[in-house]
Amino acid sequence: MIDNITYDGSVRGHRRAEHRLRARVRTVAEAYALLAPSLAGFLLFLVAPIFGVAALSLFDWNLMGAPSFVGLDNYRELAADPEVWRAVLNTIYYVVLNIPAQTVLALLLALALNRRMRGGKALRVVFVLPWMAMPVALGIIWSWVFDPRYGVVNQVLGTVGIDGPNWLTDPAWAMPVIASVNVWQYTGYTMLILLAGLQAIPHTLYEAAAIDGTTPVQRFFTITLPLLRPSLFFVLVTNTIGSFQIFDTVFVMTQGGPGGATDVLNFHIYQQGFQLFRSGYASALAMVLFALILLVTAAQFLYFRKRTVYDFS
Amino acid sequence: MSRKIALSAVAAAALLSLAACGGADDADSTGGAVTLRYAMWDEVQKPPIEQSIREFEKAHPTIKVQIELNNWNDYWSKLQTQLAGRSAPDVFWDHVSYFPKFSKEGVLTDLAPLIAQDKVDTSIYDSKLSEGWKVDGKVYGLPKDWDTIGLFYSTKALKDAGLTPADLDGLTWNPGDGGTFVKTLQKLTVDENGKHPDEAGFDPKKVKQYGLAMQAPTGQQDWWNFALQNGCTLQDKPWGRWTIDQPACVQAIQFVQDLRLKYHVAVPATVTNPPNGPSLDQVVGRGEAATAMDGSWMLRAFDTALPSGGFGVADLPAGPVGKGSVYNGLTEAVYAGTKHPKEAWELLKWLTSEHHQKAVAQAGSVWPGITSLNDVFADAWKAKGVDVTGFKKAAEGTTMGYPLTEAADVYNVKALDIFNQVWLGQLSPQDAAQKINTEANAAIK
Repeated sequence: MIDNITYDGSVRGHRRAEHRLRARVRTVAEAYALLAPSLAGFLLFLVAPIFGVAALSLFDWNLMGAPSFVGLDNYRELAADPEVWRAVLNTIYYVVLNIPAQTVLALLLALALNRRMRGGKALRVVFVLPWMAMPVALGIIWSWVFDPRYGVVNQVLGTVGIDGPNWLTDPAWAMPVIASVNVWQYTGYTMLILLAGLQAIPHTLYEAAAIDGTTPVQRFFTITLPLLRPSLFFVLVTNTIGSFQIFDTVFVMTQGGPGGATDVLNFHIYQQGFQLFRSGYASALAMVLFALILLVTAAQFLYFRKRTVYDFS
Repeated sequence: MSRKIALSAVAAAALLSLAACGGADDADSTGGAVTLRYAMWDEVQKPPIEQSIREFEKAHPTIKVQIELNNWNDYWSKLQTQLAGRSAPDVFWDHVSYFPKFSKEGVLTDLAPLIAQDKVDTSIYDSKLSEGWKVDGKVYGLPKDWDTIGLFYSTKALKDAGLTPADLDGLTWNPGDGGTFVKTLQKLTVDENGKHPDEAGFDPKKVKQYGLAMQAPTGQQDWWNFALQNGCTLQDKPWGRWTIDQPACVQAIQFVQDLRLKYHVAVPATVTNPPNGPSLDQVVGRGEAATAMDGSWMLRAFDTALPSGGFGVADLPAGPVGKGSVYNGLTEAVYAGTKHPKEAWELLKWLTSEHHQKAVAQAGSVWPGITSLNDVFADAWKAKGVDVTGFKKAAEGTTMGYPLTEAADVYNVKALDIFNQVWLGQLSPQDAAQKINTEANAAIK
């Protein structure tokens, strides 16, 4: 009682705090309850396998017999394996072919579609359609398109007197073909994100700049590009990560060939794991890919962090 | 994007295989019917087999057979993954190059007790075929078929060059100047101006028709044959170490590269390299090559790709040490972990029975494993005007089997990649042979 009188306010304060805490606990609990299914999935299907792969990379295991612990042997072997380096270079080559082309094309498309025009919405849908299609099915269809004898590409080239190359069996062409298929497939998606970014830029900025007598080109470089950074950052990071993991198109169209010209890291991992059944070595390679992506993503974060403005108001 | 896809694919595959297992069990408990899974890799052979299996199902109303077809490359990675996951097909085609590994891992059913119990007469099979599948008194498969390599030719291309099929008889090659084999192929190779490779003004970049087409993921249909004809052995002994870096072997590899890059008489690797190049029946069918080295299992494909009477088969040329062809046979095998061993054995008996193999031979699909049926196969092709007895003569002559090794996986995967490069001219035969030899031998424990 006395306490009650003396510390009336505080107690009430305590109660309020307690109440708030309880409410908070409840909200958090609710949040977790709602998150639980996806969290469980995340832990079970993503986090656990990552640790599993990290552990497996220290073993020698053909999936059938008992795994034997080999320490860092797998890593030592891959460091000395020229095919691993070829796969790393092939992967980087693919990323270099893919990302700039895809980003620039998507940006141009987004700029073109960022205006009111007849059929603009329909066009947006058309550009996004490839992204929604199945990569494996697309790979098969593109293989037909690039067939040296019966494919559309060489037939069209033939009509203008060009003898088209053997796209998928010529080592010089195989990778550019793979890259162009993926550029075609993912440009629409990238365009969509950039378009959203463009539409978030306040129009008043352009009006003010126009009054100041700037040219459209100046406006693009001083307003559009800087303010589009968050979106560009997002597409560059996610697309680069995705590109490093290229697998499906290679698997369907070239199987890493001809002569290893499209043997990218992820395909090499598959080959070691599921054709040669060296799951430990394949896991070690997967860790290398992981580290490679982590490095590149970290570099992108560092580069963009300093220069990105998120708040336009 | 790709990882997500790969993950979901793995998850979906896992679910599917669970569902598949569940499905089979359900069938067991409900209708009393058992569904057997039968795996194979050759689409060309499937139709007559499927037809015969429908008959089998009629004779065995409680057994259903589901055929699982995957191409050569996918077949082995899929089968081995299924074996590791204990969900392999009940009955499947087995190949010599994977047999050592499988027999060691205990994934094949020993048929010896079943053969004794049902008094199956195994003397009807060519002993050359059945012997290789026995280890320590255990029998891990019964012969399905056999094959050798021949020189398929387009009759039209031959005629256009003023040659007759008899001109393809008795050809010889050597590592020095290519011999009469190369001379003949030069006559069959024409550029857009009608010039041959041995004429001045021949343009190797604008060839209309090549003399020869070759394509082989392992070497079976191309350089192994030249290797045998040149006195090379791929291994020091069965189950032993690879020896393809020996001079006689390297010369054979060099010769195949020369046919493309030096003599310009063979279709370039940018067209034929596996796994993406068109199959050789297509290459000859389009008129891009006059002849092709290919296996007897491809007869039906050539028959489809070329007009009636449009092709024939000649013997392979002889090399410095004589004639010779790669000889190989497949077996039907039962998975050791099958849930339906009795039914699987019934199916295997059917597939290796005279009745089934006769039907397949009559369709001209493959040379049968049962010796007495060889004539059925030969007659089926004779009726179509194709003399296929050369394959049989080759089988009776000097042959080389598939190497018996536990390192078949490594050899097969590396060979595909490395020989692609050799045929393109990116790697020397010597370096390639050494590389494969080292890597394949390193995988032997």
